[in-house]
Amino acid sequence: MMKRNLLCLTTSLAVMVSALGASAQTLAEIEAAAKAEGMLSTIALPHDWCGYGEVIAGFKAKYPEITVNELNPDAGSADELEAVKANKDNKGPQAPDVLDVGLAFGPQAKAEGLTQAYKVATWDEIPAEVKDADGHWYADYYGVMSFIVNTDMVENVPQDWADLLKPEYAGMVALAGDPRASNQAILGVLAAGMSTGAAPGDAAGKAGLEFFKALNDAGNFVPVIGKAGTLAQGTTPIIIMWDYNALAARDTLAGNPPVEVVVPKSGVLAGVYVQAISAYSPQPNAAKLWMEYLYSDEGQLGWLKGYCHPARFNAMAAAGKIPQELLDALPPAEAYEAAYFPTLEEVDANKAAVTGGWDAVVGANVAE
Amino acid sequence: MAKGPIRRDARRLPLEWLGILPFAVFAFLFLILPTLRIVTGAFQDQAGGFTLQNLMDLNTASIRAAYWTSIKLSLYSASLGCLIGFAMAAAVVFGGLPKRVRSPLLTFSGVASNFAGVPLAFAFIATLGPAGLITVWLRTDFGINLRAMGFNLLSFQGLVITYLFFQIPLMILIITPALDGLKREWREAAEVLGATGLQYWRMVALPILFPSILGTFALLFANAFGAVATAFALTGPQLNIVPIKLFAQIRGDVLGNPNLGFALAFGMIVMTVVANTVYIVLRVRSERWLK
Amino acid sequence: MTRFLAWFALIFGCLYFLLPLVGMAEFSLKMRRGEYSFDAYRRVFEDPTFWATFSYSLVLAGATIVMGVFLVVPTAYWVRLKLPQARPFVEFVTLLPLVIPAIVLVFGYIRLYNTSSWLPLTGSALGTDFLLTMGYTTLALPYMYRSVDTGLRTIDVGTLTEAAQSLGAGWITILGRIILPNVMVAVLSGAFLTLAIVLGEFTMAALLNRPAFGPYMQLLGANRAYEPPALAVIAFAITWGCMGLMQLVTRFSKHERAKA
Repeated sequence: MMKRNLLCLTTSLAVMVSALGASAQTLAEIEAAAKAEGMLSTIALPHDWCGYGEVIAGFKAKYPEITVNELNPDAGSADELEAVKANKDNKGPQAPDVLDVGLAFGPQAKAEGLTQAYKVATWDEIPAEVKDADGHWYADYYGVMSFIVNTDMVENVPQDWADLLKPEYAGMVALAGDPRASNQAILGVLAAGMSTGAAPGDAAGKAGLEFFKALNDAGNFVPVIGKAGTLAQGTTPIIIMWDYNALAARDTLAGNPPVEVVVPKSGVLAGVYVQAISAYSPQPNAAKLWMEYLYSDEGQLGWLKGYCHPARFNAMAAAGKIPQELLDALPPAEAYEAAYFPTLEEVDANKAAVTGGWDAVVGANVAE
Repeated sequence: MAKGPIRRDARRLPLEWLGILPFAVFAFLFLILPTLRIVTGAFQDQAGGFTLQNLMDLNTASIRAAYWTSIKLSLYSASLGCLIGFAMAAAVVFGGLPKRVRSPLLTFSGVASNFAGVPLAFAFIATLGPAGLITVWLRTDFGINLRAMGFNLLSFQGLVITYLFFQIPLMILIITPALDGLKREWREAAEVLGATGLQYWRMVALPILFPSILGTFALLFANAFGAVATAFALTGPQLNIVPIKLFAQIRGDVLGNPNLGFALAFGMIVMTVVANTVYIVLRVRSERWLK
Repeated sequence: MTRFLAWFALIFGCLYFLLPLVGMAEFSLKMRRGEYSFDAYRRVFEDPTFWATFSYSLVLAGATIVMGVFLVVPTAYWVRLKLPQARPFVEFVTLLPLVIPAIVLVFGYIRLYNTSSWLPLTGSALGTDFLLTMGYTTLALPYMYRSVDTGLRTIDVGTLTEAAQSLGAGWITILGRIILPNVMVAVLSGAFLTLAIVLGEFTMAALLNRPAFGPYMQLLGANRAYEPPALAVIAFAITWGCMGLMQLVTRFSKHERAKA
């Protein structure tokens, strides 16, 4: 018990010291300390998500002394917070160092004491509305909600949310995550709600739940997590996912089967994700080095290659740092102009409505 | 470790137990202690005191549904596995089939009973999934649309059908020795007394086999109840059965109460222990006849 | 009539077992649109993560087999020779892994051996690997023990031991140079089964967050279309190969004994 108290004390002292010294450490010092730590544990970073596969490979190539330990790539945002909580006292390889969660989960993590403050060198180029003033969480990239459709199995590609309710799509529509834990799924519900005309936030959240209830009752909804694999295998021919994931899936499948990525006509929702360092990170310096890498030009362009708009997009575009081919490969800008960026309060209210109400309102279950 | 010549001396007995010390330490650390920890944890609250609250908390709609689905799944796959496995084993032992069929069937059963888990899910998706071999073949060559008929692999029925792939072989492996034990003399004696084949089965063979069959049913039930990898790979982490709920709870406290995980695990232990005890007791009973 | 029913049951069963295997193989060949090709297999073999996780699981399988042999052979030998009273206890222990599901066991491990306990195994990668190996050893224990025990039953342990001791052999020599070679067939049998179990194991590796083959297969299954059935074919081929080797080894030993 004494040992545990001592450990807690030293850990919190270390956290305090590192927080104090956050601005005082130079990149060289961070690099040296990170190499001494030798390992970085990431969580919930699928390789096809925003080009993370290449981003991680780039980090490994730049710092070969640091092993990247990738935990549970399929975790949702809520699962990431749970992993930090579950490994509070664990300094081993199961404890994640860094988090990449939906916007609504950033303040939640800070409130629960799961994050530590750190401001990257390029801090000022991150827009103010999507970062925590103290540096506990900060936006990394964004995209818009879209449909990906397996055109081998679907003849008429749905163009809007209302189309999904048509009987020809029986047993075809799926979300890309568990709507009780995955930010992607939760915001999918929000987008559906907004397409019915409800105001973003709590109202659209509830409207979205009603939409999915109707979808489930019509027999169109498949309560399985939709991925590139299930799309091609035919179990979920229509998936509601971020456009960057949809485009990456299209690339992976390479035409077999052919897919179409559709941004719906109404209910166009932009979603922001945020980065954070775990308060209980076993390798805090490696975590800081990772953040510096992600927010450097190299890291941001890596995300851009994965079809995501990185946080520093506007600043970098203005400075001419983005190659034209990458800009051309991105989804068309018109979709982004029509997209709605929900505020922090709106995503918060939506998250509460969806995670709390999904089981009760929709109650979709495989074992029926 | 040299201990000198063997002496059948009573005084040396305590020292001889040292021989199984490594095994005992291993069993204690990695089998007995974890199980005990779960059993005690199920009855502990956050502060460490004794409580029955965790078990009471199991009585929520979601967990009740999970247990009910798990039990249904195990019952269905165990009964179907028993029936079909028995039919196949009986076919091989009594059906007058060529002798060469038996050995490959038993070997294959050995392989198939271990082919559970992730690869099995892939195999069934590739065969009976919406774009699977059989589904497409039935649709293009026979005009039979399985989905329109209400069949969906990613459902309860689909899971039962997938589970049968390792349940049936297990049944075959266990019941074949029991069927071998049915002595030919009994059949001949029954015929001498004028019994028909059906009467022989109804009044002699099945009563003798009954403990074996019931016991194996219990074993199949426990086998299905504890299986998680196949279901996880087939229907994903959203399926509401007890092992997947426990899986999610271990990964992260989705139930909002860390001690509830212990209660869930304890519930699983109770189920599998009861089922396996039934199996062992019945097996001992049945071996009396089949010696 | 009986024969007709028997054939019907057998063919029905065979269809049920063979069709998924055929479906899986056929789907795995469909990566290139419109024609059959081995593209999926090529993609799998070119994936460095495949080799990383496969070799990790192979290494752990080897460690499990070694651990199993060192644990089971001396214990089974000792129980047979000196401690028949311990037999019920040992057999009960070897039944436990069949009763307690793997997911419950690994839950117990995580709660017992985390960094705030007296044996912080999960505090390091090596410690967690060790814990996972112990988990695999418990999973393989029933089969390994039953196999070795059956093997020991066929040799006269008491006489062999007395003969060896009269020639001045110590216990290690007896176990290593007399008992082990005689039960090698049983040990190999258990070893192949252990290999099949460890390669396909998912639950323990996923919950302990180790880069093993099982979680890799599941991850690929979610994100790819044609590689998962290719992996399943590979996994099945390996399992079948192990079983085949088991059969071969057993039959080989029968011939040996028949000759002697």
